[in-house]
This record gives sequence, structure tokens and C-alpha cells, in this order.
Amino acid sequence: MIDCDIHVQIGDREQFLRFVEPGQRDWFREQGALLGTPGYTWVHPTGFMRAELEPGSGGMPASTPDLVRRELLDPYGVDLGLLTADDGIAVSLMASPYRAAAYARAHNDWLRDCWLDADPRLRGTIVVPAQDPLAAAEEINRVATDARFAAVLLCGGSERPYGDPRYLPVFNAAAEHGLPVAIHSGAEGLGISTSSGGAGMPSFYVEWHTLGSACSIMSHLVSLICHGTFERLPGLRVVLMEGGLGWLPGVLWRLDTNWRGLRSEVPWLERRPSEILREHIRFTTQPLEHTDGNDGLLFEMLEAVGAPGILCFASDYPHWDFDEPRQMIRRLPEAWRETVMHDNAAELFASRFGPVPM
Amino acid sequence: MSEWHDVGSAGDLDERGLLLARIGGREIGVLRDSATGTVHAVRNRCPHHGAPLCLGTVRDRLHGRPAQYVAGGGRVLHCPWHGWEFELGSGRCPDDERMRVAVYPVKIESGRVLIDA
Repeated sequence: MIDCDIHVQIGDREQFLRFVEPGQRDWFREQGALLGTPGYTWVHPTGFMRAELEPGSGGMPASTPDLVRRELLDPYGVDLGLLTADDGIAVSLMASPYRAAAYARAHNDWLRDCWLDADPRLRGTIVVPAQDPLAAAEEINRVATDARFAAVLLCGGSERPYGDPRYLPVFNAAAEHGLPVAIHSGAEGLGISTSSGGAGMPSFYVEWHTLGSACSIMSHLVSLICHGTFERLPGLRVVLMEGGLGWLPGVLWRLDTNWRGLRSEVPWLERRPSEILREHIRFTTQPLEHTDGNDGLLFEMLEAVGAPGILCFASDYPHWDFDEPRQMIRRLPEAWRETVMHDNAAELFASRFGPVPM
Repeated sequence: MSEWHDVGSAGDLDERGLLLARIGGREIGVLRDSATGTVHAVRNRCPHHGAPLCLGTVRDRLHGRPAQYVAGGGRVLHCPWHGWEFELGSGRCPDDERMRVAVYPVKIESGRVLIDA
């Protein structure tokens, strides 16, 4: 089994700060718990983390490799786990690109030394300061030499959708190293990002969690395809994380329809957008919508747009809306299980993972 | 069985750019592409939603690398309702292989426009 979304936590801030360049260390220390990354306007009413998990370093769950081993890797038989930043995902939304670059460098070095060295089943994602795309590309070039980093990580919240040509240096660098780019929902409406959902700021976390995270992923998906990102970079793969899936058939049918009538705006798209998606884009499963008994309908709709070939399992440990792996296996159609729980991620990250046992 | 039908004068076609005729229950339009001077006969019903296709516009189909807009992808008839494009020569919709509009041989003889339908 491959788990594509494990949010390790910075519990020991002083341990993390040791990876920040000395001249910036005091500034980050003085920013408090979030270390300068923008905080959520909509606080989860009962906590972002699963409440029963063991508090680790600094009182944070999932803050040591031992906790991740005992609570996720060992009990569920996870063969490889992709570590995705938590607060660090919002580094691209810090006002200062220089602070952001320092944070990203520290996060990547911390992940390498404190996590990837600790367990051979762990793989990293490269945090980058996307508000400064050249600096982001430089960071990818610096870190990608370590083959345990399996993807570049971008944040759902952004200044512009990622098809915008300003971001090309980031996608170029990722493609040059054979790294997929993971775009993980989160931080929409925070820091220097635009508002989530397109209609203004929501009032509640429940609104944000329903729409903000899904809408940003939809926007990046449509933008990357329409700008011809995959025509520019035929080897590029993108994995869209934690934005939901139920909307995907509707958005793709809508995009294909609009492409037929409005293709002269984007004449470099010689194929239907849904065909481009099947070749270049993958999705992580969590949080797979609860369907009130209509799972068959959901899977049938997803099949129409490329599932199970486009889906990779993710648990989102240690977050409150964790998808329990055994429950997910039972829920998936039998013919999908190996493909979703293992094969698609093994293929997507093949150049970095090497062979992964079933 | 097809046969040549007289659908109007070449002078009217030059003046209006379009002639419409009903033949065997089907409405067929004859268009003159003002850019190339070629004449085409096309069924006046879009296979997508039934729009009067021949009231659309004839344009160059664009292509190119990302960020480039290059003419020269062939002349297409652009439907007035939803903007689907159909190749003037073949009637094929290059964006959906299931969609094709009927096109007919057309000729001008002695100042009359004739179509084989």
C-alpha cells in the first residue's frame, strides 16, 4: 500500500529552527507556532487533528517518526508514505518571498534529516516559495538530487491559478528532474492568496472545507490544461490532492464542452481536455465523499472520466478527516483496489520510488 | 438518387454571401468564403443542437504552440449557437469525431448555382 498524503508536524520548533539560516532564525522564532506561515481565518471548531492520537513532540500528533510508524505505517502495512507539509504548505502565501525561501529550505532539510533518514518507507515532497518562481526552481534543483524526494509540493491557495506562465520555472524544474508536481488543497484565502471559492470569503470552516479546497483544485486543473502546460512539458505529471472527487466529472464535461466552442482562445489544445487529464493528472482519494448509500453512482461517474487509473490512495493522517485504509479498501470496487491502493502511485512516482512491493 | 439542383443565381450569392434552398426536406446553404473565393454547400443544421449552421461565420482554424495563435489550420464554419467548428471541405468536426455535417458538391454554370443533393 502507498499512502500519498501524510502530514508530519513540526512539534519541536527549536529542532526546526536549527535548519533556518542563522540570520533569519530569530525572525522565525518570534512568529510563534506557525513560524510565519499565514494562519487560518476559519479555525476548526474541534481541532484539525484526530483527537485520539498520542501527543508527541511539543504536544503535536504525528510529530516524530516513531509516532507515524506506530499509528500508521506498521498497523496498516504502508509500504511507502509520501510526506506532505502541514502549515508549511502555505509558505507560498507568505508576504516576503525571502522569508518564504528560507522557510522552504529549512523545511526540506528538516524533512530529509529528521524524517527521511529515520524510516526507509518515508518519501518527501519539496516545499517551494511559489511566489518567487525562480527561487522555487532553484530550491527544486537543490533538493531533487536526493532521490527520496518524490514530488514538488504546491499549495491550493495561490495568487494566480498555476497555469499562469509566471509559474513555468517551477513546472520546468520539476519536469527536468522527473518529479510530479503535487498541488495540495489548503490555505485558500490566506496570506497573499486570492479568496477561496470565487464569491468572497466564507464565514465558517465548514464552508471553507466544502468549497475552498475543492474550488482551488478545480481552478488549478482547468488553468494548467488551458494554458497548454502539458503541451509545453510533455513529460510533466501533476497530482491533485485533497480537493474531493465528486465534482470531477461535471467539471470535465463542462470543460470539454466549452473547449469545443471556445477552442480558438486556446488553439494549442488539439485534444479534448479530458484526454489530456487522463495522461497527465492524478488525484488522491481523501476525502472521498460520503455518498449516503450512492457509492455505486460515484464510482460509475468517476469511471467515466478515467477512474480507477487516475486515483491514488491517501489517508491524510493525522487530520480529523482521515480516510482509514482498511475502510477505503472495503469501499472501493474490488477491481479498483490494487490499482488505487498501490499501482497508480507506484507508476506515478516510479522514477523516485523504484519497485514497491504490493 | 442525387441530382443537380438550381438553387439561385451566382449574382445573388456574390451579393449576399449565402443562398438557402430546401431540397428533399433538407435545408441546404451555399456559402461563398470571402477570403478564398471558394463556394461550399452545407446542410443548414448543426448536428450538435440543430442550429442554422450556415448563418455562422467562416474562419481560419487556429493552431500553434502554447501562447501562439497561428492561422492556417484550414477554413472552418463556426456555428452561430455554441461555436463548434466544422471543416468546410469535409463537414467534419475536428473536435468531436462523432459530429459531422453533410456537405454537397456545388458548381456554378451559366451564372446559376447548382448543388448535387
